[in-house]
Amino acid sequence: MTGEYVDPWDGRLHLESAHALYLHVPFCVSKCAYCDFTSYATAEGDARMGAYASALSRLVEEAEAAGLLEGFRTAYVGGGTPSLLGPEVLSHVISTVCAGRGLSELTFEANPESLTDGLLDACVEAGATRVSIGVQSLDDDELSRLGRVHDSARAISALDAALRSGLDVSCDLMCGIPAQTGASWADTLSRVMSMGVRHVSVYPLMVEKGTRLARSVEEGEEVVPDEDEAADRMVEAERVLGEAGLRRYEVASYADAGHACIHNEAYWTGVPYLGLGTSAASMLTAEGYLRARLVCPDLPEPDPSWVRVRLSCTSDVPAVARARGLADLAFDVEGLTSREAAAEDLMLGARMMVGIVPALAYHARATIGGGPVDSTFSHLVSEGLARMTPEGGLEPTERGWLLGNEMYGELWDLAEGTIAHSAR
Amino acid sequence: MISCSYAIIILMPTNDCTHIRNFSVIAHIDHGKSTICDRILESTHTVEERDMEEQLLDSMDIERERGITIKSNAVRVMYEADDGETYQFNLIDTPGHVDFSYEVSRSLAACEGAVLVVDATQGVEAQTVSNALLAMNANLEIVPAINKIDLPSAEPERVRAEIEEALALPAEDAVCVSGKTGAGIHDLLEAVTVLVPPPAGDADAPLKALIIDSWFDSYRGVIAIVRVFDGRIAAGDTVRLMALGDTFDVEEVGCKRPKQIATADLGVGEVGYVVTGLKDPALIKVGDTITLADRPCASPCEGYREAKPMVFTGLFPIDTEQYENLRDALDKLILNDPAITYTPETSVALGFGFRVGFLGLLHMEVVKERLEREFDLDLIATSPSVDFHVFLSNGEMVEITSPQDMPDVTRIDHIEEPFLKVKVIVPDTYVGAVMDLTVDHHGSFEDMVYLGPKTVEMHWHMPLSELIMDYFDQLKSRTKGYASLDYDLDEYQTSDLVKLDILLAGEAVDALSFIIHRDKAYARGRSLCDKLKEIIPQQLFEVPIQAAVGGRIIARSTVRARRKDVLAKCYGGDISRKRKLLEKQKEGKKRMKAIGSVEVPQEAFMAILKVDD
Repeated sequence: MTGEYVDPWDGRLHLESAHALYLHVPFCVSKCAYCDFTSYATAEGDARMGAYASALSRLVEEAEAAGLLEGFRTAYVGGGTPSLLGPEVLSHVISTVCAGRGLSELTFEANPESLTDGLLDACVEAGATRVSIGVQSLDDDELSRLGRVHDSARAISALDAALRSGLDVSCDLMCGIPAQTGASWADTLSRVMSMGVRHVSVYPLMVEKGTRLARSVEEGEEVVPDEDEAADRMVEAERVLGEAGLRRYEVASYADAGHACIHNEAYWTGVPYLGLGTSAASMLTAEGYLRARLVCPDLPEPDPSWVRVRLSCTSDVPAVARARGLADLAFDVEGLTSREAAAEDLMLGARMMVGIVPALAYHARATIGGGPVDSTFSHLVSEGLARMTPEGGLEPTERGWLLGNEMYGELWDLAEGTIAHSAR
Repeated sequence: MISCSYAIIILMPTNDCTHIRNFSVIAHIDHGKSTICDRILESTHTVEERDMEEQLLDSMDIERERGITIKSNAVRVMYEADDGETYQFNLIDTPGHVDFSYEVSRSLAACEGAVLVVDATQGVEAQTVSNALLAMNANLEIVPAINKIDLPSAEPERVRAEIEEALALPAEDAVCVSGKTGAGIHDLLEAVTVLVPPPAGDADAPLKALIIDSWFDSYRGVIAIVRVFDGRIAAGDTVRLMALGDTFDVEEVGCKRPKQIATADLGVGEVGYVVTGLKDPALIKVGDTITLADRPCASPCEGYREAKPMVFTGLFPIDTEQYENLRDALDKLILNDPAITYTPETSVALGFGFRVGFLGLLHMEVVKERLEREFDLDLIATSPSVDFHVFLSNGEMVEITSPQDMPDVTRIDHIEEPFLKVKVIVPDTYVGAVMDLTVDHHGSFEDMVYLGPKTVEMHWHMPLSELIMDYFDQLKSRTKGYASLDYDLDEYQTSDLVKLDILLAGEAVDALSFIIHRDKAYARGRSLCDKLKEIIPQQLFEVPIQAAVGGRIIARSTVRARRKDVLAKCYGGDISRKRKLLEKQKEGKKRMKAIGSVEVPQEAFMAILKVDD
């Protein structure tokens, strides 16, 4: 076997369990103007939320017992608005997940209006290590146009409380939003930095069809800055955050050394994860999927060509709340061949600042073929979207960051065949 | 649907013409011709009330949607007249738009009379005059009918005077009708009975039947509408097409009421359909004469003028794999619409397509829409052109219908283009507006006559190439819809013409070139550059758009490079969602044409069809 190179990427394609856990909490006080997610408007104390959260805890325990979470390292409670569950309910979910497992990271999402000292204390106590706060802006006019519930003062006090709690704090911000100017954006960024936040996500606004914002734009009541302006804001964010020591490590994510979100990195690097709750997404290896079928016998039989399976939970909130076990949930199932999985990993790898690492590039050449992979790489380089690294990887340029879809699309085209799709 | 008593009545002795009346209904567009036809069908119980629908004779969706008649139709109506006799009326509905005047002339050749419908609120308009003249030239008895008399703004007396003055027709007995309420329809049918002469013809002579229309039925092959001038035609006859020489056995004959009802034969003077069983549409030519194979008539029918296309455009499938489908579609469409011509054309930008000739702009729109609808094609039409005569320095003349074929300027001595005699009828308050517009379109004024105290008829001489540049739309809008237009082809004359090229990222796009009068090139180049800038989406690189004449750049605009296109949101690891978005973006690109490295949406090719400078 001398001289034979081992494909170091291949290992993650055969992990038999999920290494990350995602729990989805689809409740909000009200729907924001730009949001097109499935969400249920409710208020703190709503009994439906308690029933839903208990179901999540039950499902986590069953998944664990079934070996689906063997050795999982990170968890993320996202939404929606998890903080709306309140201290008691949310901390109960978190403690079920953490329960003496020594996770390296447990993040929960929170919106400023429901992020209280009491909630923070309860979650820290339960084992949370990180909180991600939906601040979006520190300009009151911008916030109200987005249909956010909080104002800038509430956002600042929430950030302040979170930082005092000892949790790792991440702050979500939006750019390219109505009424935002270069100056107001710089102001939001520098105020967040001056508070000592070490992780920021910057999302340029997308006007999604069917949202309230889309209607206002159509009716001429609201004006959304054009893509050129949004690009300026993204560049400005990189500059201001960079000056404060935060480095962009993914399209939308900035962190100080050691503060990157490990859980989110799993999404971009082919690490399997299990998502539970209404419209939660999972990615399992073919082996992991076979384990899942032991507890969910109704899941469709996998095609022998599948190496990766993506699932999306289609059960609504009442269905999840009544679920006695995983077998009661419904999923959309999508299988990927080795070629498709490799193309997907390339597409996702290109989102990362480190780009397509040499191990992945090697795996892709072995799976898809050196010819097509190298010709796509050279084309991306010739378009100025990426550059080759000395080690044989490919990393995005600043242009490849701002025009990412162009690059991701070309990489995904390497999959060629269509995705098998079935539903249960 | 049709009660059997009619089936008995239509079996009239085939050698008796005295009870047959063949007539057309002619009118300016929108004067209510189709509604009057509807009322005639209704009042003669040809169609039961419950089966009645508007514009019954216009069977194409596009006709109903636009409220226009494109195809002729011949329907048989049995009318019990006040004299106690039953008459066979063959009513031929004809198109009203100027583009389709060839359809009108074809139908008129099959008639002895014409009902001339004039709107009581609008009066005589341009096509009232030209259609009436066509009918008079065909020696038809004209029965004037003043329509829409139920409207408060109706002025039957003024219109009566206009008919007498403009058409020199006795109009004191013009029938006043309302297609809407049905008032006067009985009087109109009586007038037809009395005024329109029965057909003349020899029942014992060899068969002589004129094909006035045809269409392709996928189950029964080619079906022709014919008018029998002499003899008779019946199922089982072996007949010959006189112009093309082919023979076929008649499978069935009958009449349309308006559904097809088979009859034993079609006798002298009658109008009806013939199922030929032929599968090749090209064998049946409208205007051809059908006779018996073993006992042919001496000479074919006269009175048919073949249509000549005046406007040309390139038609290209958006999906290049649909080229063969487009060819098949054109092959089939030409049976229904013999006025179109087509030859293969290749474009660097658009691939394989056809150069198609039409009678006019409406005709072009209609054909394109029919091809797309009836044959499920997605087409791009390039800028319309006329048939230019380009004289080379060596004295040779070449006919150019596509800007692509234009020889190099250095080889051209001069260019001639078709001119028109244009007639515009308009209330006199709009004379100034028409003057401005027409002079701007290189029209030269000839003269003007008053048709009534406030209505004038202006005569112009102008290039067809200018008329097809949205002259009609602008004329309508500048006269608040009052102007009506008609034209006839005149001779070719020299014009100062140039080829205007559009360059995208430095490369000339053949499909965006067109031929234009030199003095208009700059303004048009400028407005196109601006318009294309709005239409062409941002690309990864900057795209300069240039307009050039003979290699010299006369206008320019730039589509800035796209700076941002990235889906940043995480969606809780929902990667399928991200992938779907990328796939959707890719689909969007597929609908565009890649010209060189530039993705160009279809609208860019449409932009050059509309001028608003």
